[in-house]
Formats: sequence, structure tokens, C-alpha cells
Amino acid sequence: MFRLKNVTRRFGERVAVDNVTFDIPQGQMVGVIGRSGAGKSTMLRMINRLADPSEGTIHFNDIEVSSLRGSALRNWQRDCAMIFQQFNLVPRLDVLTNVMLGRLNHRSTVLSLLSIFSHEERIMAIAALERLGIEQTALQPAGTLSGGQQQRVAIARALMQNPKMLLADEPIASLDPLNAKIVMDALRDINEREGITVVTNLHTLDTARAYCERIIGMSGGRVVFDGPPRELNAEAVRSIYGTGSDGSEIDESVTSTAIRNPARQDNDHSTDKESASPTPLALAGL
Amino acid sequence: MASGTAENTMSGLGPSAAAVMRHYQQQLRTRRVYTAIAIIVFLVALWASLDFANSANSGKFFERLPYVFDFIRNFVPDSPMEIVRAMFDLPSPYADGSLRYDYTSERVYITDGFYIPHFIYQLIITVNIALIATIIGFVLAFLLCFFASTNLVGAGATRWVVRRIMEVMRAFPEIVVAGLLTAILSIGPIAAIVAITIHTIGALGKLFFEVVENVDMRPDEGLRATGASWVERVRYAIVPQVLPNFVSYTLLRAEINVRASTIIGAVGGGGIGEVFRLAIGRDHAAKTYAIVILLLVTIIAVDQFSSWLRRRLIGQQFLDTARGAV
Repeated sequence: MFRLKNVTRRFGERVAVDNVTFDIPQGQMVGVIGRSGAGKSTMLRMINRLADPSEGTIHFNDIEVSSLRGSALRNWQRDCAMIFQQFNLVPRLDVLTNVMLGRLNHRSTVLSLLSIFSHEERIMAIAALERLGIEQTALQPAGTLSGGQQQRVAIARALMQNPKMLLADEPIASLDPLNAKIVMDALRDINEREGITVVTNLHTLDTARAYCERIIGMSGGRVVFDGPPRELNAEAVRSIYGTGSDGSEIDESVTSTAIRNPARQDNDHSTDKESASPTPLALAGL
Repeated sequence: MASGTAENTMSGLGPSAAAVMRHYQQQLRTRRVYTAIAIIVFLVALWASLDFANSANSGKFFERLPYVFDFIRNFVPDSPMEIVRAMFDLPSPYADGSLRYDYTSERVYITDGFYIPHFIYQLIITVNIALIATIIGFVLAFLLCFFASTNLVGAGATRWVVRRIMEVMRAFPEIVVAGLLTAILSIGPIAAIVAITIHTIGALGKLFFEVVENVDMRPDEGLRATGASWVERVRYAIVPQVLPNFVSYTLLRAEINVRASTIIGAVGGGGIGEVFRLAIGRDHAAKTYAIVILLLVTIIAVDQFSSWLRRRLIGQQFLDTARGAV
């Protein structure tokens, strides 16, 4: 059980995340949606403790994540893997080394600094790459790979951490639709097979609907929607994204933020649907 | 001249664009006036400082200029072959027992039949001083630079202390430190090595931490999110990014250090600089020319070798990206 309680983050005067409280049971796949600047990234970064909350507490089972220091903090970061919109790999190192860097917190610093990795770790890394279908790139510098391949390397690195939780900050925002689907499928596969909690920021509604069993909508740092995809109706979408200053609303044909008939949406994964071919319905027409 | 043509060229523009155009031309005129003023001020300052330097000198520059050629005319070896003999320690036909023609007595014998010529041996000493100083300086600057980078240690006490240490190290020219150290450590290469090393740490350290402060921090964030410690993040997120630049700066520093160790030789640091000072002071033309030629060849060789090494180590890919970035 993972719990955020009254978590607030301020940058000077500005409140990025405002009094957020929610629970996530182990093994859930959660999508966080909202406009740019709604505090989605800041919230994820606080969960991994790349940023510190100004107020409130974050708990994972009995551990108070928000007060960890030193090696206890690094152990939490190992258990709570994170992938990023810009992948954040080391571009000049080869893919295999990048993946093995996910083991850093599991091993002796001296061996790590000397680049001494064991045979088992190499096997583990290759296996992770194979699972994501990019084992043939193992010896290339990570910087030479395409965006979709780099994001899968980042996921392989996250798997090497043996995480209990996986955070994804806009994982498909810089990818084309096919690569976006491959990456989202990989995240769902990890969620279902390993039972790892996945929390992902998304900025396309149709992706959130297709993959997540629970959607959290944020606006101005606050949680304004929390529920299954089928409850995400036009009213809820309007509360998350608001309307433009000239009264304009989201046009899915421009943003690809499709809004499908909520009644058909429950994501129990048994009636699997393709996210790439939704039957979009413009918000204005609902 | 501007107003007539300006009105003509503005005929096709709308009122708002014409206003912008007029404004732009006004700015252009102002800028030209300032440029002209700046050039005049610069020329006056240049003339004044040259005049001041000339009057501060004991002799007048233009009056003394012809004597340069006198010196060159009088400072010639007995034959061009004398330069070669001086360079390779071959006996001279002009030998009269004086030091001027004594090339052979300072041969450095490795075996009974094989020797290293004196000047070349001194040159090896000089290059060796530069290499040792560069290597030690690189290692220490490498270790220090990460503690001077704002993006790795913040703006606190650590950064302040390390930066001040580096500043002190590079504040004094090598030659000053060497002069001081020869008084303590006695005359010889050790003083030169220490002096150049100290300066190298300070100079490379500053270049290094500036490189470190310009790295892409996303790989670092990626590793921080895996639970990597500070040292591990530096090793895997920072070092791979900065190493090509570090190598490049270090090789450049090696070139500079060869020159520095030559000069330090002249103040008692040993090596080629010392024998050069003796040769020119004693008016030994053949020896002086031999040393000048050896120095030129060495400097060119070191430059060529280091740029070749830089290409080999860093790889074409880096050069291409660097070129693309410009």
C-alpha cells in the first residue's frame, strides 16, 4: 500500500502540488493526467524523492518515504524505479552498461567504480533487453538509438533495479504512435506479470483510458478526478483541462486526445482493445 | 544620403512596417557613430601606450632596431655543419681546446659505443618534466574538479574552498614558483616538476569544472532515480560526458607545459632551457642554433602528436558532433 497524505510542494510563491492525498494498492496501474504545469511531474519526482515535499508525508507500507536520508533514501529510490520523457540514459555508454547501471544500488561501490560487473548481471541485463525486444542493440552507444529504443533501454534499466513500484514521467511524449504503443505495452506487461505498481504521467486521454485501471486528474496542483476510466466523462475532462480563455475546448482531432464512449470503458484487460485505433468522439459532440 | 533613398525604399511598405524600418535605420546610424568613436579611441590609446613603452625603455625602439640585424650578422657559426656537430656531439675541426668548440665532452654514454648527444639528453629531461607534471596535474585536477562544480556539490563551503585552492595554485606563474622552489629544493628538475604541477592543477581544474558545469544533467537524474550514490553518479553520468573534453584540455596543457619547462630550465630548472641560456650567454652560435632547431622540432612534434592522439582517443564521432554544434 502506497499513501500520499496532504503532500504540498512550493517553488517560492507558486504552489506546484497542493495538498494531495491518495492511496495506491500494490499492483495497480495508475495514469495521471492534467495540463502542463498541473504538478504531475513534481508529484512523481516527490514520490521518487528527486524532489522533496514542502509539507505532508509519503508512506510505502511502514516506511515513511518523505523523511528518508542517505543510504535508506537510495534504497527507496532503488525500489521505486523511474523512467523519463527524455529517457535520461548515459548517451556515450553502451546499452548493456546503461542497463547494468540499474544494479548500482545492489552492489559494492568499489566494483562499480572499476566497471566490474559479474557474469550473472550481464545475463540479467541481456535478458531484460531481450524481453523488450532490443537485445541486438546491446553494444551500441545508447545515444545512437531511436527514441523508442532508448525508452525501452530505460525500462530495462528500471527492471534491473527489481523495483516494487515504477514511475513513468511522460514516457511516450517524445515518441511516435507505434513506439508509444510498444512502450505502453511493456509497462502494462511489467504491471501484470510482476505485479509492480505503475504510476505514469500521460498527456493523451486515449492512452490513459486504454492502459490504466485508474486515472488521477490534476489541475492547478490539486487532484480533481480520481476513478476508473469509465467515470471520466466530459464533465470530468472539463474539470481537469478547463477551457481556453476564449472558451475553446479540447479538439481531439488536433490534440489526439480522444474521448471515447465512457460506457464501453472498464479496462479489466480481458476485453483487450487497441489504443492505436480508438473511435474518437469530439468533446463538443458529447 | 540615407533619407532620400530610405523614403524610396519605404514606398512599398505599410505604415507599421515603414515605422519599424525608420526606427531600424535610426539605430543603424547611431551604431555607426559609436563604431567610429570606438575606433578612434582605440587608435589613440594604442599610440599612447606604444609611446609610453618606448620612452620607458632605456634605448629608443626605432634607433635600436638596426642593431637586431647586427646581432644576427655577428652571431653565425663558423660553418653550417658546426650546427649539426653541436647537435649530435661530433668533434669539431675548429677545436682549439676552448668551450666554444667542445661538443664531445658532455656525451651521455649508454653503452661503451652508444651515446645520447648532450642537447638531446637535456631535451628529454625537459619533455620528461612536462609529461610528469601534466600527468600528476591531470590526476589531481580530475579529483578536485567535481568538488568545485555547482551542479554536483551546490554553492556551499566545499565549492568555495576547492575553487580558492585552485585559484591560488594558478595565480603564480610557473617561473615564480620554480624560482622559489629552487631555493628550497636546490637546482634541478624536481623543482621544475613541482612548479609546473601546481600550476597545471589550478589551470586544468578550472577548465575541468567549467566543463562539468556544462554537462547534461538528465543522465545524472536518471541514475539518481535508480538509487546510485554521489560517487557512482559522477563516475557513470558525468565522467563519460566530460572525458573527451578533459583529454583535449590535458593534451593542450601538455603542449603548454613543454614550453613552460623549457623556460623554467633557464632559471635553474635543468634541461634544455639551462644549456640554451649558457650557450647564448657565452656567445656560442653553433650550440645556440642547434638548440633552437631542436626546440622547434620538439614543439612541432608535440603539437602534431597531441592532435593525432586527441583524434584517436576521442574519435571522429565527437569531432563531428562538435563541428555540428558550431
